[in-house]
Amino acid sequence: MLNRRTLPLLALVAPALAQAPTEITVQYAQPVIFKDSYDAIAAEFARREPAIRVNFVTTANYEEGMQLILRQAATTLAVDLSYQGFNRLRLFAERGIAQDLTPLLRAEGDPAAMGYSPTMLALGHFGGMQAGLAYAASNPICFYNADLVRRAGGNPDAMPTDWPGMLALSARIKALGGGIEGMHYAWSSDDWMFSALLFGHGGRMLSENEQDVAFAGPEGLGALRLLDRMVKEGGMANLSREAAQQAFAAGRLGMIFWTTAALRGTMQQVGRNFELRTGPMPIIDEQRGRLPTGGAAGMLIARDRAKRDAAWKFLRFSTSAEGTTLMVRNTGYVPTNQLAIDEPRYLAEFYRDNPLFQTATRQVAISIPWYAFPGANSVRVTQTMVNQQARIVEQQATPEVVLAEMAAEVRRLLPRPRG
Amino acid sequence: MRRGEHLAGWLLTLPAAIAFVALLLLPTLAAVTLAFTDYELGAWPPAWIGFDNFREMWTDRGFGQSFRNTVLYVAIVAPASVLGGLGLALLIESAARGRMFFRAVFFLPVVSLTVAMASAWQYLLHPTIGPVNALLGGLGLGGPAWLSSSDTVLLSLAFIGVWEAVGFNMVLFMAGLTAIPKELREAAAVDGARTAWDRFRLVTWPLLGPTTLFVVTISLIRSVRVFDTVAVLTRGGPNRASETLLYTMYTEGFTFLRLGYSAAITLVFLVIVLGLMLLQTRVLDRRVHYG
Repeated sequence: MLNRRTLPLLALVAPALAQAPTEITVQYAQPVIFKDSYDAIAAEFARREPAIRVNFVTTANYEEGMQLILRQAATTLAVDLSYQGFNRLRLFAERGIAQDLTPLLRAEGDPAAMGYSPTMLALGHFGGMQAGLAYAASNPICFYNADLVRRAGGNPDAMPTDWPGMLALSARIKALGGGIEGMHYAWSSDDWMFSALLFGHGGRMLSENEQDVAFAGPEGLGALRLLDRMVKEGGMANLSREAAQQAFAAGRLGMIFWTTAALRGTMQQVGRNFELRTGPMPIIDEQRGRLPTGGAAGMLIARDRAKRDAAWKFLRFSTSAEGTTLMVRNTGYVPTNQLAIDEPRYLAEFYRDNPLFQTATRQVAISIPWYAFPGANSVRVTQTMVNQQARIVEQQATPEVVLAEMAAEVRRLLPRPRG
Repeated sequence: MRRGEHLAGWLLTLPAAIAFVALLLLPTLAAVTLAFTDYELGAWPPAWIGFDNFREMWTDRGFGQSFRNTVLYVAIVAPASVLGGLGLALLIESAARGRMFFRAVFFLPVVSLTVAMASAWQYLLHPTIGPVNALLGGLGLGGPAWLSSSDTVLLSLAFIGVWEAVGFNMVLFMAGLTAIPKELREAAAVDGARTAWDRFRLVTWPLLGPTTLFVVTISLIRSVRVFDTVAVLTRGGPNRASETLLYTMYTEGFTFLRLGYSAAITLVFLVIVLGLMLLQTRVLDRRVHYG
């Protein structure tokens, strides 16, 4: 077919073909929080990789993001790269949807030299593979109303560093009266805040081999007793998390313990109502105490070679020191790239101008991965834990009773070894 | 000629028939099939497990609680919204002025978006900054945490359910009332039904029979279907105190990803709704019509 007449034509077309843009579809959740950061990263990425076109698909929350990918897995996968909550990655790894990123990372050199520290890699390591790369990380912090703390005789510059001190302060704030509440601990969304209390005691969710629960010991009991004391000593009212946030923004709640991810939104809600401050989580066990890490990681789905390469490039850029810097500036999450943390040229200026965001970054050293339960019932397990904690918050059962029943229910939901 | 008409008839019903098969019958059959599998979103292929899903449902405390909650919710919302609707219709019908105004006011909840209204209720019932508890506080009473206490959460949701349904029922009853000839009531008055209550008991109520039957059925079905307010306001909590059938179906299927089990719950739900409709058409229909 080739002859003298078509050859020059081909020579004209070939470079154009090579430059034909590869289109990839990238999904992420919570555009309210993340849109600015992804847009900034995509703009910078477009400058560096003009041959790749990125289309975004967003879902209101992580749960819908998970549903979308799982539905597509049953039909046709249209998403090439998906940013999922840390605790969902395991499910995708176990169902063979996420691809192992280890070979891709190795091909580029030493991961640590690129800023992927072992701690950060661990956040996306599930099911024996690197199922994702951490994009944005968070940990629990204390938001407080400095005005209320002052009125209750506390010092907002020197907040208590342990729970007994916090609970006493909470009780004093509540005693101000007029419908003012002392504190809220965000226990009701999932198992994350419970794991903060459990890890804080040095405990863990399951045994090493993941065959049995490990929270049923003294650490778990300590965690639930602390929740009980929040109600009994701290006077914590039975509020839903949304209700607590609304009360806090209205200046009627002294302290709220929740993720640093909520910081930007809280700042907007509070406005100039009162002086908002953030502080670290109270320390439970100085040596063994840890905190869980929340946030999102990018996982590679595309099977098609060209799309896979393009999606990997975007994932790699979004988690690089430059990408992380853009993410932090636009969200308030904790950086996930060690280079961006260590080298002042990336974020030093941002943290100087936004001191409230420093709290979570200081806690990175004691943060460990958000534990994801194995097997098909993983999400059910977390709901069970929330339901059991409700009994303590409503003072319907003692921590001892709740711990025993929680352990029994979770055991029932763990995958049984097939034989 | 006959045959042509026959064919035309089939052709004319074809679009509706296709829509019925593709959008209703096939999905329903698919759900029925799934109910006998262990299908989980993202895990392929599913396996046949016979009646295991139904057996699990029988012993599942979560499902049991959800079923009881739904029954209690329906037991509050259906009678209250039927009686409330009837009362409002009678009051407005007998009013000399402002009929249009009151009709619009009470019908407003029906046409407004439930999700948006739920947010308004969330604010009204907020334990610390909500107007309801502020009002109670002003009277020297401590209001409960309406939507986050397991003692009051179902009652609060039921109240919102009644508020939502009462206007709808009112409009249906008003339509029924206008169909009753005025002469009958006047004749009854002549025949010795002196009080308004007598005229209601002897004329209005019996003649409203078909309307009442319809309103009762639709109220039952609508309240069995409660989902929006649960999903927006409480997510079934605390500790499942406000979990209802449809919400359980949703969480099992889309949060816990167990589509097979979720389909089994759907089947139970379908049986309940069909049972209610059968009750209307078979049993009660015969008794309320005056031929």
